[in-house]
Amino acid sequence: MAEEIFLGDDFLRQLMSVGEVDLLVALPTYNNAGTVVQAIQAIEDSYQQNFVRDRVVILNVDGGSTDHTTEAILNMNGRKAGAHRGITSLRTVHRVTTQYGRTPSQGLALQTVLAAADLLRARSCAMVSPATTNLDPSWIANLLKPAYRQDFAFVAPLYARSKFQGLLARNLLYPMSRAVFGLRIREMYSDEWGFSGRLATNCLGQKLDEAVRARPEAWMAVTAICTGMKCCQSFLGPKAPPTSGPDIVEAIRQTVGNLFWCFHNFQDHWLDRTGTEGVPTFGSDHELMPEDPPASQDKSFELFRSGVKGMDTVLPSILTADTHAQIRQIAALEPEKFRFSSELWVRTLYEFAASYHRATIARDHILQSLVPLYRGQLYSFLLEHGQSSPEEIEADSEGLCLEFERQKPYLIERWKAKS
Amino acid sequence: MKDTIVQGLQQAYLNLFHMIAEFLPRLVVMLVIILSGLLVAYALKYAVRAVLRLSRLDRLSEEAGASRVLRMAALPSMTEVLSRSVFWITLLGFILIGISILNIAGLQEQISRLLRLLPEIVVAMLILFLGLVIANFLSRAALLAAVNAGAASPKMLSWSIRFGIWILAIAMALDELGVARQTVIAAFSIVFGAFMLGLAIAFGLGGQDLARSFLERSLGEKKDDKADELQPL
Repeated sequence: MAEEIFLGDDFLRQLMSVGEVDLLVALPTYNNAGTVVQAIQAIEDSYQQNFVRDRVVILNVDGGSTDHTTEAILNMNGRKAGAHRGITSLRTVHRVTTQYGRTPSQGLALQTVLAAADLLRARSCAMVSPATTNLDPSWIANLLKPAYRQDFAFVAPLYARSKFQGLLARNLLYPMSRAVFGLRIREMYSDEWGFSGRLATNCLGQKLDEAVRARPEAWMAVTAICTGMKCCQSFLGPKAPPTSGPDIVEAIRQTVGNLFWCFHNFQDHWLDRTGTEGVPTFGSDHELMPEDPPASQDKSFELFRSGVKGMDTVLPSILTADTHAQIRQIAALEPEKFRFSSELWVRTLYEFAASYHRATIARDHILQSLVPLYRGQLYSFLLEHGQSSPEEIEADSEGLCLEFERQKPYLIERWKAKS
Repeated sequence: MKDTIVQGLQQAYLNLFHMIAEFLPRLVVMLVIILSGLLVAYALKYAVRAVLRLSRLDRLSEEAGASRVLRMAALPSMTEVLSRSVFWITLLGFILIGISILNIAGLQEQISRLLRLLPEIVVAMLILFLGLVIANFLSRAALLAAVNAGAASPKMLSWSIRFGIWILAIAMALDELGVARQTVIAAFSIVFGAFMLGLAIAFGLGGQDLARSFLERSLGEKKDDKADELQPL
């Protein structure tokens, strides 16, 4: 067990009274009193509809809520609520709550869940976000079943998304992680995911680095891939647009920082790997829903242009002279003629990843330097696809993925270069 | 007369012989000391280099931005700079000790003064170097934060921070050396004060609109500039 996890006496007592379980669903909360009850009900309904004979537990790990989130969970009526909706279970649906700290931390929350899963010998686990407003009982079942009924270690979700939702994943995280690690897992960064007890025990024995604590789900996925465990995807349903979330700077720090860290730390597993392969998918595939074009993103272009100009002393430490010159060239274009080509975007990202690996400057500064360039790429994408159909966007995304795969040797060349 | 001249020459020859006889052993001792110093300096240089390589100082130096400062100044890596510094400081110390053995009047006192100053020179150099590294790191952090926030003059902000830290580091280094202490403090106060006053005037006169919008944003109804930006995840 990781040394830094401290399980309090009360928490241990609760876990011991539960005994061993088959299934565990965890809810990492922080001031979610408004939505947590609905989430717990969805989990209980899922247990009672799909896992009537199985030993189950709901685990709430709280990051120091001040809005009585824990009390809201404790005051809920368990089986009665389920029975009221005409469904029955043969076993008690246990609820365990604990507070892992006074400030929220996804990493610490996950470590607490992993420790609990290990102690309870859970066979299949799922993490769900209490902030998800459209959490459905079927989501829980879809996340738990592949690890429980089959031999999958990591279960990534698949959503039906609006076509301009999750563009960081579409234009960077998915194609880059797919090209580097060789597995086509579309949603490696998500609020919901499932994992086996075996993967939980494996991850529990490893140190969770500061760089991956904000988004530990991708670290779990990469750990599964690199230790030869089986991964799959499971369709959940429509992803509700987030009401709040990190801004671009923080999102890039959390997700791209996490991805680059995984490249750096798991390099032995991907440097010699070529090509990509799909993973088994349960339910329908990723779906794109039509959506009106977003409001004008001229501000993004302005920030890209001023960023490239302002960072002219920083970018030479990260990019090659040729790539930097090309970026300066496109930054000088008129907004309506602007185009950030896939070829240049991929090349830029690979040079960023290699610079992160060699730590040419402080790693956090490398990630921050990517923000204006991402804004430029986002502007180019929206300019090109404002009126495109979901099919056209999908085709373009596939083209970007293939470009990442085509240029992977360049990443390896930059990765191994001395300077 | 002839005898007196011969006697004088003999005396001069004896004196010269005596002086050389007295000086030569000292010269040999000096050379031995310098040679030993050279060996010790080389040994220390390789030891320090090995220890620093083991401690991965170069990687840390890259991350902190110190290596870039060194490259800008056409200097080798941090490990090389430190190991070579140790070599030269050690050798210089031995050379000064060796020279002091020669017992040349006047030189003794100068050497003692230099030896006494040596630690202070090293500390002053260290202060300057740290100042450069910190200035580089913080100015880059400010530049990136300003660029990403869409601030009006990120480069000016970055250079202000860099310049401020440089002034502070130079003043501290000169103070460490004890060079015109009062003058340095006064000069630092004047330069720093003038700099801050300049910024205040520039902001007040040149950036009236900016100041107004800043105050409106701070005190009035808050509007997020990036509210229209798409949620990335």
